[in-house]
Amino acid sequence: MMSLLGFSGLFLSLIFSVILIIVYFFENRFYLKKIFYILVFLSFISILISFFSLMCAYIISDFSNYNVFQNSHSSKPLLYKITGTWGNHEGSMLLWLTIMSIYNFIFSFNNTLEQKVKKLAIFFQTLLYICFSLFVIFTSNPFLVNTIQITEGLGLNPILQDPALAIHPPMLYLGYVGFSLVLSLALSGLFLNKINTMWIITTKNWTLFCWSMLTGGIALGSYWAYYELGWGGWWFWDPVENVSLMPWITGLALVHSLMMTKKEQLLKRWIVFLSILCFSLSVFGTFLVRSGILTSVHSFASDSSRGIFILILFLVITSFSFILFIIKSEESDQKLNLLFINKTSALVINNIVMLVACITILLGTIYPIIIEVITNKRISVGEPYFNSTALPILLPGFLLMSIAPALSWQTNKFPKLKNYLFIFIFLSIATLLISFFTNFSIWGFTGVLLSLFIISASLLSLYNNIRRNGFKNIFLLNNSLIAHIGVGVTILGITASSVFQSEYKYSFAIDDANQIKNLTIKLRNINVLEKKNYQELNASFLIHKNNKIISTIKPGKRYYHVSKIITTEAGIYRNLFQDIYIVLGNENNGRWDVRIFLNPLVNFIWLGVILMIFSGLVGMRKK
Amino acid sequence: MSLRFQRLLIILLSLIFISISIGLILINSKKNLVFFFTPSELINSNLEINKKVRIGGIVKEKSLTKLENSQYNFIIIDNKNSIKISYYGLLPDLFKEGQGAVIEGILLKNNLVEASSVFAKHDENYMPKSIKQQLEKNNFWKKNYK
Repeated sequence: MMSLLGFSGLFLSLIFSVILIIVYFFENRFYLKKIFYILVFLSFISILISFFSLMCAYIISDFSNYNVFQNSHSSKPLLYKITGTWGNHEGSMLLWLTIMSIYNFIFSFNNTLEQKVKKLAIFFQTLLYICFSLFVIFTSNPFLVNTIQITEGLGLNPILQDPALAIHPPMLYLGYVGFSLVLSLALSGLFLNKINTMWIITTKNWTLFCWSMLTGGIALGSYWAYYELGWGGWWFWDPVENVSLMPWITGLALVHSLMMTKKEQLLKRWIVFLSILCFSLSVFGTFLVRSGILTSVHSFASDSSRGIFILILFLVITSFSFILFIIKSEESDQKLNLLFINKTSALVINNIVMLVACITILLGTIYPIIIEVITNKRISVGEPYFNSTALPILLPGFLLMSIAPALSWQTNKFPKLKNYLFIFIFLSIATLLISFFTNFSIWGFTGVLLSLFIISASLLSLYNNIRRNGFKNIFLLNNSLIAHIGVGVTILGITASSVFQSEYKYSFAIDDANQIKNLTIKLRNINVLEKKNYQELNASFLIHKNNKIISTIKPGKRYYHVSKIITTEAGIYRNLFQDIYIVLGNENNGRWDVRIFLNPLVNFIWLGVILMIFSGLVGMRKK
Repeated sequence: MSLRFQRLLIILLSLIFISISIGLILINSKKNLVFFFTPSELINSNLEINKKVRIGGIVKEKSLTKLENSQYNFIIIDNKNSIKISYYGLLPDLFKEGQGAVIEGILLKNNLVEASSVFAKHDENYMPKSIKQQLEKNNFWKKNYK
């Protein structure tokens, strides 16, 4: 029943979209004028019905649906029944379609653009929508029905049963899929040759929103990896992580270029190029992940026919866009105001740095595939490659971003250069001295110095701005500075938690205590808890700091009956300056292997990300 | 500084930056590659000692021994050859004898690897594609893994 309703919704929304494409060409007839927007609405409503009927099938555990049977179980808590809707390939593609349609629908209320540009953008967005809905119907239909009566499902992978991971996909998709609207806007502006101030402001707002959501989605994923996978880190340079990073970096470059064009009406071609690249990279990433070409811990069940379909989609979308780009884009007659040190040149260099970093990551990700095809040897490119390539490449960008907002657009005079220079020299000496007397590491030194410089230089610029403009609209006027402070805070967190992380391995019997620095960690007891759909082994460690009790940490292991999988639940004591992170290992003759990590400043990472998202969303209100 | 000179300077700087990046990519991709082998392939390859390798295969039944606190020895096999592994650390939850695993570490002798990390099969259906192909080729693929 639910499957039928859902599929009808999906199919109807495809039909409405096709009608919309036809109507677009005959819109001059008087009676078709209103129908255009009604069709956008109808298509949106149908896909929404389709999506919610799948969700409904999950909630009521309708195992006649093959997708529900494969990925759900009646004993799952309600929250994970709901989020199980997008915890699998088919469901997540339906979510993809729904979000695509939501963007189209909300965009149809836009009143800043010219009617013609707006309609063409909706036209392109609908074309993209049709492509992806064909993909869903032909290769990943979530509404297949079981031919025999089934009373119980196979269950959702337990490591996905987690609150952070429940909202991670929708947020990530709001970013990924949102870039499709940016692409549609770019194509429409390009086609009609209407890339003007209004277009730029509109595109800037949508891009900022998508980029902020993508940032949040990626951060949620890392946050989940940090406490669920139990190896003490939060970033693995796994292919799936890399493919999400590529559109993120390109989107960031796009946001910066849009700012530059706002002032000078320049670099339009470059902006269109980046807009196309963002969504192309999103689709390419989807192809790499869903086709099973890359081996990744996050892999969805893979199927080669899907891979080919997405590859074709990717090639069609990308080649169409770039051909249009080559044919339609015009040589701009204005020249760049490129001086040695001004905002324009800083932004150009920023763009170069970001794109090169993006290419580095892309190469590292697809290099194993290329090598396997050519030499038939299997290799893996891991963390060391990315750390020693991408990070040094980003270095000049980080240096630049600390001073760039203070530069002027028109001249190459750098006001108050002395102050910034003084800060830099002071910080270098201070960091050098501190790291000399503790444990020196080149990565640690560079990271700490850079992040402190970014933070303090941005604060200085913020102070100057406040002196000039007062506290009125403080967030609106300084949102880029706030974002840069966020980046600084994040870099500080990343550096401290990776370079200065310390790991200890112990074997504890009950009532054993071990001393780490000024902490005493004592194993009090180990309990077995019976939960609805799993059994949990729960240890409780008492933490003393300087002989005062500060907390109890409860790491555990869960055994999920349905899927017969054990998962690790790391126990974390959070503090702004240091996380105490405990992972429970195996038992041996009454002694438990335990891994303890001290992760300094790891919460700065999430704090910085929140600052970035905040300033991204605030930037949407900027005119 | 004249306008032209300033622009030239920027272009020059960008070029230097890009060439440094290309250099970094080339050097690092050569230095940090890890080759992936099954036990038979590793034994037949003439890989230098002390190189970093990845090995994928099945953990031999009853080969896992715990020496002391977090120090493990076990054997990884395909149907022809076997490689001894020594590992210091916590084994992942899903690590089991008779199941698939991937080991990354340093080759100490022709058939001995000191592991720096051990990855176990991710879930019931998961097996890296590369291992699966190789195991199927060697007729080691049990039906029930599929």
